[in-house]
Amino acid sequence: MHTETHTGLESPKGIWWKPAHKSEKVWVGIAFAWCMVLFAMMPLWHWKGGQNPSGIRRRVEPAAFFARTQEFIQQYQVDTDRGMPIVAPPPGSDIYLTGMSFQWTPILKLQKGAEYILHLSALDVNHGFSLYPINVNFQVIPGYDYGLRITPNASGDFRIICNEFCGIGHHTMVGRVIVEDAPATGTPGTGGTP
Amino acid sequence: MTAPAATFRTCPVTTRRIHDQAESLVKINAVVSVVALLIGAIAAVLIVLTRWQAVHLLSATWFYRLLGVHGMSMLIFFIVFFEMAVLYFASTALINARLVAPKLAWFSFLLMLGGAVLVEAMMWGGKADVLFTSYVPLRASPAYYLGIILFAVGALIVTGIFFANLVVAKREKRYEGSLPLVVYGAVTAAIITVITLLHGAAIYIPTFLWSLGLMHVDPQVYRMVWWGLGHSSQQINVAAMVAIWYMLGGLTIGAVVLNEKISRSAFVLYVLFISMASAHHLLVDPGMGPAWKVVNTSYFMYMAVLASMIHGFTVPAGMELGMRLRGYTNGMFDWLRRAPWHDPGFSSLVLSVVVFGFVGGITGVTIGTEQINIIVHNTLRVPGHFHATVVSGTAMAFMGATYYLIPLVFQKRVAFWRMAQWQPYIFAGGMFIFTLSMTFAGSFGVPRRHWDITFSQAPFDVPFSPVVDLVLAVVAVGGLLAATGAFMFVAIAVASVFFGKPLGEITKGTAMVGVPQGITHPPVHAADVDARNAALHAPGRGIMGPAPGTIVLVFVFLAAFILYFFVNWKILSFVWKIG
Amino acid sequence: MPDPVKPDEAAEQVPLGQRLFDNVFLLLGLGLLVVFVLYTGWGLWEILTLPQATLP
Repeated sequence: MHTETHTGLESPKGIWWKPAHKSEKVWVGIAFAWCMVLFAMMPLWHWKGGQNPSGIRRRVEPAAFFARTQEFIQQYQVDTDRGMPIVAPPPGSDIYLTGMSFQWTPILKLQKGAEYILHLSALDVNHGFSLYPINVNFQVIPGYDYGLRITPNASGDFRIICNEFCGIGHHTMVGRVIVEDAPATGTPGTGGTP
Repeated sequence: MTAPAATFRTCPVTTRRIHDQAESLVKINAVVSVVALLIGAIAAVLIVLTRWQAVHLLSATWFYRLLGVHGMSMLIFFIVFFEMAVLYFASTALINARLVAPKLAWFSFLLMLGGAVLVEAMMWGGKADVLFTSYVPLRASPAYYLGIILFAVGALIVTGIFFANLVVAKREKRYEGSLPLVVYGAVTAAIITVITLLHGAAIYIPTFLWSLGLMHVDPQVYRMVWWGLGHSSQQINVAAMVAIWYMLGGLTIGAVVLNEKISRSAFVLYVLFISMASAHHLLVDPGMGPAWKVVNTSYFMYMAVLASMIHGFTVPAGMELGMRLRGYTNGMFDWLRRAPWHDPGFSSLVLSVVVFGFVGGITGVTIGTEQINIIVHNTLRVPGHFHATVVSGTAMAFMGATYYLIPLVFQKRVAFWRMAQWQPYIFAGGMFIFTLSMTFAGSFGVPRRHWDITFSQAPFDVPFSPVVDLVLAVVAVGGLLAATGAFMFVAIAVASVFFGKPLGEITKGTAMVGVPQGITHPPVHAADVDARNAALHAPGRGIMGPAPGTIVLVFVFLAAFILYFFVNWKILSFVWKIG
Repeated sequence: MPDPVKPDEAAEQVPLGQRLFDNVFLLLGLGLLVVFVLYTGWGLWEILTLPQATLP
């Protein structure tokens, strides 16, 4: 007898290290092959895909990151909305966004189709960067600089929802990102938005 | 060999020797577990009634506070106390063995209980509004962390007693050959418990000292080590749940072990690789690089997924073969049609397998893919996934096991028997609606752990589609239905254990109110079982083999899996370029 | 294909695989080793060796 007729509640007597029926072996083989496909997709997407969480990852003092954000605001501020600075950095530049309880600063004004390096960090506790409505999510951790190369592919008025619990005011923490169509004559990578 | 100073009874149903001290510990752990379930379920109702924006019941403070209570009561106290009962049961009653250190066992139970009470007191008292994950530098009162440490130390001692029971049972020759497969599953759960609790110690002891101002804890290190506890604890559930699947299959319909080598290999793969999936929570974190993320999130090339896909085949195939060996041989699915669907142990088993596999498993593997996680992290898709695994998978299986523990261990009849027969369908049905609608809401970017997605107090409006409101109402309906199922279960368990009719004499073949069919009509294979088994395995039956119905079912599953996985890649490809 | 003849189990040597699988403490050790090396150890190394940000 190569098969068992006992339940899982009974001790198998003697030797049970025996080959399985063909049907079981085939399923294990198919499952294994599928697991390899599942695995292969990740390196493949790093190589060919456009969305990866790799980024430029660094350690940073929260205060230093916040100071750099302030400097960035002074450099490129174009307007304010409800007391929050709106910043329009030139395409291709490093841009900074700080999360703190309970706000995202500053408001970013970007150009469609241009690449930026978006640096994310937190001043106090963990926050969650969730870009609405396109649903892109990253963890924002105090003490860590997460630099992501982003290229907005549509213009519009976007929101940043905080989706990591950061205290009792967590649900009031909303930021804003504005993406405008690139100027018709502008060549990306030269100068800022007026 | 004689067991010194231990008193035993012989189970009239299974003829196993049951040590009274072990049995008391199984009982007390199960009872505390149900109390935790009740607390968690009350919190659950208040939470879903708050996230249903039209009702929006709780204040923000109480919403977040009860969300923490819900997570801790359900994911830790309900499930771990029940698992302690499983460990005692598997290492004593199932192999005719004794409990080696009753005094230490009671001491560890008191540690766990004391820790749990302290944690609950801190949470309800507003001294620990840090949610289940308590991410540093959010700060709770030191007593909160201390409570968790006490609980974890108690649980670690129980795990040690479990291994000691196995060693002594072997030395005293309480069982012959290898451990039964169900106990092997419990061993798997116990090993993952050790992994989990060591991570717990590694993070909660420093965090306790940090809360006293004695040391620094890095937020990213905290997240990484904490999830070695937080996620691995849910892998204990997976292993314990699969062990219970094999147990309920055997008890309810005489499911057989198709092949010991294959099923045990799957458990060994769990032991080796499943805990690496703690990385699922860290895929869009800045601390670790892509190589670490890819290797860990994939459980070393999806070896634990392979294991689950093996169990997903062998559990139903063992059930099918068991039924065929009892004479239900017609066609593909006669064995399934003629199964005891009114036995709550059996219906719980099937619902647990189906919802865990089709919803929990498929969504879990997909959203745990490094890049796909970008469109998932911290949205409602995450709790949508894990309620399908932990609630309609693990909790459902534990409930099914309880319907058999009540007569076999507590020696009582199951109270409210008609209600008990309905309970699995209501609970799993509610959870099915809840998890699917939550997953759907999450794909719109609705955040998890959020009091108010109308953002009424936020500086900028967030105009969610009206569809989202509707979907969140469906989430609430599913959640309330599932909570109703949970309350039914609590009522049945409490009434049976404390006020239930004694089991009394069982006449085989006579149905009794309050006694599951697997006990009154123990599944017996046909007299010529070996000949039938050989015929079912005969090469002439071809590739479909002894369980053709199951082959059809697993390919339906695989097709759903492939479809869901690639649809998610397609959706990901539409978002901004990020790298 | 499996052996159709019922083997004399008492006389047969227990296969290595079965002995390894039955060794609960070996599994415990390997389980701890894999996760503490690949997840926790490697993870800590990743975090602790991150370079300081230049904030360009």
